Amino acid sequence: MATAVLGLAGCGSRDTRTTVTIWHQSRPTERDFLVAEIERFEADHPGVRVRPLYKETEELRAGFQAAVLAGAGPELVYGPSDVLGTFHTMGIIQDLAPWISAEERDAFVEGAITSLPATDGSGRRAVVQIGDRFGNHLALVYNRRFVTTPPLTTDDLVRIARDNTVDGDGDGRPDRYGLVWNYTEPFFGIPFLTGFGGWVFQEPESEPPRPDLDTPAMAAALGFIRDLRERHQVTPANCDYELADSLFKTGRAAMIINGDWSWSDYLANPSIDAAVAVLPTVDATGLPMRPMVAPKGYSLNANASGDQADAAMAFVRYMTSDEVQRRLLQRLRMLPARRAAWDDPLVASDPTLAASRKQIENGRLMPVAAELRAVWDGMKPAYQAVLGGTLEPAAAAARMQRDTEGFIASMHQRVEPSPLVPVLGAGIGLALFVLLVRQWRSFVALATDLRRNPTPYAFAFPAVLVIFAVIVFPFVWNLVLSLSDMSLGRFRDWRVVGLQNYAEVLADRRLWGLSGVFLKTVLWTVINVALHVTLGVILAVALHGPVRCKAIYRLLLIIPWAVPAYITALTWRGMFDYEYGAVNLILGKWLGLPAVNWLGEPLRAFEACIITNVWLGFPFMMVIALGGLQGIPEELYEAARIDRASRWQQFWHITLPLLKPVLLPAATLGAIWTFNNLNVIWLVSNGGEPQDATHILVSYVYKSVFNLYRYGYGAALSTVMFLILLAFSMVFLQRTRATESVYR
Amino acid sequence: MREPLRITILRHAVLLAFVAISIYPVLNVVSISLRPGDRLRSTDLAIIPADWTLASYAALFTEQPFLRWLGNSLAVSAAVTVTGVALASTAGYAFSRFRFIGRRATMLAILTTQMFPATMLLLPLYVLIARLGLVDTWLGLMIFYTATALPFCVWQMKGFYDTIPASLEEAARIDGCTRGQAFWYVVLPLATPGLVITALFSFMTAWSEYIVAAQVMQREEMFTLPLGIKGFQASLSSQWGLYAAASILVSLPVVAVFLSLSRFLVNGLTVGSVKE
Amino acid sequence: MATVSIRGLHKRYPGGFHAVRGISLDIADGEFLVLVGPSGCGKSTSLRMVAGLEEVSEGEIRIGDRLVNDIAPGDRDIAMVFQNYALYPHLSVRDNMAFGLRMRNTPRAEIERRVSAAAAALSIESLLARRPRELSGGQRQRVALGRAIVREPAVFLFDEPLSNLDAKLRVQMRAELALLHRRLGTTVIYVTHDQVEAMTLGDRIVLMNHGVIQQIDAPLAIYRRPANRFVAAFIGSPTMNFFHGTIRDGGFVAAGGAARVPLDGVAATVPSGDAVLGIRPEDFVVGGGDEDAAAFATAEVTVAEQMGHETLAHVSIGGATSIVRVPGNRGVAPGDRLPLGVRAGAMHLFAADDEGRRLA
Repeated sequence: MATAVLGLAGCGSRDTRTTVTIWHQSRPTERDFLVAEIERFEADHPGVRVRPLYKETEELRAGFQAAVLAGAGPELVYGPSDVLGTFHTMGIIQDLAPWISAEERDAFVEGAITSLPATDGSGRRAVVQIGDRFGNHLALVYNRRFVTTPPLTTDDLVRIARDNTVDGDGDGRPDRYGLVWNYTEPFFGIPFLTGFGGWVFQEPESEPPRPDLDTPAMAAALGFIRDLRERHQVTPANCDYELADSLFKTGRAAMIINGDWSWSDYLANPSIDAAVAVLPTVDATGLPMRPMVAPKGYSLNANASGDQADAAMAFVRYMTSDEVQRRLLQRLRMLPARRAAWDDPLVASDPTLAASRKQIENGRLMPVAAELRAVWDGMKPAYQAVLGGTLEPAAAAARMQRDTEGFIASMHQRVEPSPLVPVLGAGIGLALFVLLVRQWRSFVALATDLRRNPTPYAFAFPAVLVIFAVIVFPFVWNLVLSLSDMSLGRFRDWRVVGLQNYAEVLADRRLWGLSGVFLKTVLWTVINVALHVTLGVILAVALHGPVRCKAIYRLLLIIPWAVPAYITALTWRGMFDYEYGAVNLILGKWLGLPAVNWLGEPLRAFEACIITNVWLGFPFMMVIALGGLQGIPEELYEAARIDRASRWQQFWHITLPLLKPVLLPAATLGAIWTFNNLNVIWLVSNGGEPQDATHILVSYVYKSVFNLYRYGYGAALSTVMFLILLAFSMVFLQRTRATESVYR
Repeated sequence: MREPLRITILRHAVLLAFVAISIYPVLNVVSISLRPGDRLRSTDLAIIPADWTLASYAALFTEQPFLRWLGNSLAVSAAVTVTGVALASTAGYAFSRFRFIGRRATMLAILTTQMFPATMLLLPLYVLIARLGLVDTWLGLMIFYTATALPFCVWQMKGFYDTIPASLEEAARIDGCTRGQAFWYVVLPLATPGLVITALFSFMTAWSEYIVAAQVMQREEMFTLPLGIKGFQASLSSQWGLYAAASILVSLPVVAVFLSLSRFLVNGLTVGSVKE
Repeated sequence: MATVSIRGLHKRYPGGFHAVRGISLDIADGEFLVLVGPSGCGKSTSLRMVAGLEEVSEGEIRIGDRLVNDIAPGDRDIAMVFQNYALYPHLSVRDNMAFGLRMRNTPRAEIERRVSAAAAALSIESLLARRPRELSGGQRQRVALGRAIVREPAVFLFDEPLSNLDAKLRVQMRAELALLHRRLGTTVIYVTHDQVEAMTLGDRIVLMNHGVIQQIDAPLAIYRRPANRFVAAFIGSPTMNFFHGTIRDGGFVAAGGAARVPLDGVAATVPSGDAVLGIRPEDFVVGGGDEDAAAFATAEVTVAEQMGHETLAHVSIGGATSIVRVPGNRGVAPGDRLPLGVRAGAMHLFAADDEGRRLA
């Protein structure tokens, strides 16, 4: 088997060139540039082949970590510098110092080359990324049809925004807002924070950095943002990235705060007349609003060595050469990393580039420390609570600080191996042994039965083999991981430490309390499955009978299943928008109901997730029920009619019991899938928004693993979830006798 | 027998209401695919935007390797459907008709494979795939998808076999069939609705998955459709037009598969075979 | 055509249930043998072991000279008709009938000939193209029969084939089955719980209870000399009346003394002591004793069921209810007191223990 697998895997054309793979998160136009440059590079270096692969931000991060852990992965990763602290701490990227001399470094603009203290404690600094451009900085984009001169100060900003918040048709809803931006991400609030004199970390930056969020500056910034909406009413009630973007693109917003990645789209859009300006100065402090700026560049996989590492670095050298840097500037209109290109006359003459450069010079370098992630996670709920009107700015600042410190603490949590680890190991061994001995007679019986009566085993074996071949290794791996201290600081050198993770899971009040994640998960599962099955059966029964256009109905009703959920969930998120969403428009227009703040209030957001998931899931149950209905003999209904059973009684006493064998497995598995359904929560509530209040267990795990790198904890929680589901299934199947047949 | 009018009206009312609910969000996707300039959101209820364009659809075929991805996806999904149906129909039969040692335990164990949060299995799964040298192979993807789809399919088939009276097979065996022939000539044709659901489910599993595919497939020419489509999404600068247009096109084969299979779903076969 | 021989047959299920406990019997070539008994008595299990659908736990089954214990059902040269017909729903009537022959690679022309012949014999030629779901219950029954007939097997096995038909159809099919057997002359094993079918169809009846054969004999012999109280109660309708009492001084005295009767002729062979006296409803003679009948008791009528050609009188004898068949339309009304006698030679004496063996 193994050889067959390897044989199949190994086929394909053999190329003698050294292959360098790059995982990058470039945007579409940048990708074209990258591909063109790769062609040029390969022409110059016949022995090297460069293979680019686009990965979305989160996917790149998670995928790269997994790949390096497996001893593989791309030679190079390309992207903004914000992940470098994490990669470096995990030990999955190399120190680039041997490839770049001090003189070479001097040719780069300051901040373009990122270095971090070496993890060996030597006090050296390791070069973790060589940048080829700057970006990711926010600036003000305004529509010249409405705004002639961009605001220089926040007072200007408010005035212009007020003038441009217009309700032309007098329906009480502005047709145009003065200012829009993405409220949901604290990243977009940073310019306000810096404008009021604050910063995310204490200065000078310590190691590890300490958050500095509970400051008057933070409170003032939050207050200002709130005033924009509450007092000046120049921004929409709710606004995420996509809404802000669409409003500005359709001329329904005069100004937008957005990053350099979005500008070319705006500038090229024929229905607006966009221009980029530097963010204004805050009147109260006299300080400019300073966005975060990050270099983008290349890092080298810790596993890369020899020819591949050299080839990869040759490519990096090529991409940061003056020649390519100039092309980068000219083609992409992005600010390159090398001084020579930075001072190109084009930068001064192009108004966008000029504004961009000025904004970068005005900006603050984005911290690369892994702790920044904890800052975002810590800021987000309180920031959203202020915008949701449930928290005062000062209290929010305090909460941000507290939450962030908590996150950083759990991120850096060091678990010492328990002295009981050998005992634990012995215990597990003993338990396995006892189990083996106790089951020994079953095994013997199995062996005899297998010889005497091989047919059923032969029928069942192939499926069982395939199912378990895939799952056993990951499953055992997770069990081991749940006993380990795998985390940010111990990513590659994790140890088995004992049951501490389980203790922590069981003691976590956020999970098990009355308003805890667990109960919410149960609620989520029960409501969803109940509605899936109910609606599915109702529709199947409605379809199962003398209905005209049956085929068309059937087809239209499975549409929610047919269209990929990753887009329809996003559509639903749009439909739940407070101001522009179809749900509120329909509620208001046809039913005269007040608008519901679906995505802004915790309970409503949870309801929105449930509605979306019910929509996604009912067609599947309908198909199952339709299939099941075919098996019910018509005579039973005839007999029932003779007995004068009403339609309802027929349904209740014939249809439902006979659908049971077909519906039960579907419902059981449906419950399991729903319990573990990450996608809908993640897409509709945008990762647990608002205020991390919509989490179910699986999204909670996801967040602690992928945002706080608590692998051991996550594995332990997953195991607990597994046990919960196992217990549920055993009880459920026992009570419903689903493993037995109705006719026996 | 003709139904009372009020029942007919009730049927259509329920069906129409749900059809509206079903298709409206999808019409929204259509709307996104017709908008120029990658606007995910709109501020009104109009489905066809004033400035509609088919540019996104055109770009899919001219600028993107959409057809290549489509071919890949069709191949993988077809293979998974065939193996899934073959393995589930036999295993489900064993679980329904035979009483053997470890039967209940195995059935439960099959279910348990669905209970671990998939996101947590990704990392070890990648390690496994990489160690076995299955990166960038169809085989790796196929095994994984089949294994994912099988637990449901096996249980579903078992449920369907349970509704088929055992006496039919006994009759067949007396008529000279071996157990295998009885299964092939008598039981399988009668389990058609179950096979259809199994096939549909296997197909959908392989057709819409992208998280594992992203781990296994590292070369763009090996991408499946969902993986290609996900590529249109970038943090904060997604190509929503392409994304929506591709999503709509991706749904069409599913609709076609459903259309071609659904007639088997609605022809009651066991009716009248036996009298209980 | 063949004999069937069963020796020491046992069936034990994995759960421990012992369904068939050592039955032995020989079925002659061409015989119509009926297995009858209450549900759960092991008759169906025995039949299914003969068919090969259940594994034999112990014992031997021979069809002809061949030991068939380990032979697949399809190779035993048998055909079976199921209680629920078990027609293949996805096949037409024609294909249903031809299925068994096709599995045996019978030549196409031969299949066609046999199917047509069977269809003609059962008058279902017009149904050949239909699917089972388009047939009525009686038609399905005929198709199931046809499917068995075309195989021309050595032995027919019937598993309660008529129990799903309505009363009228059942009578009709019963007669047709008898006719069919006479024409084909094939050995038949027929399982039923209905004693009327057993009596009317069988050359011999095997009466089973709790996995054990209670009696094997020709229908009338069983009716006349039931081997024990169970058989006596099972065969005959209305069922036999039983009186608990004692044998004393050459006569039987019912408990409480409400009835007594001399046991001329049999008294010598039966020991004194507790016993159960069985009398069939038709063996009572209303009017008390005469030369053919011994006086028995005086009974009060509680219910009178007028059947037209006869009256079934429910009477109370010492507080226990018995049924008396009164021939003709002689007026019997509730409240009447009837002097009852028992026809000579119609008294069945059984042991008073649980087994209830026949004493005389």
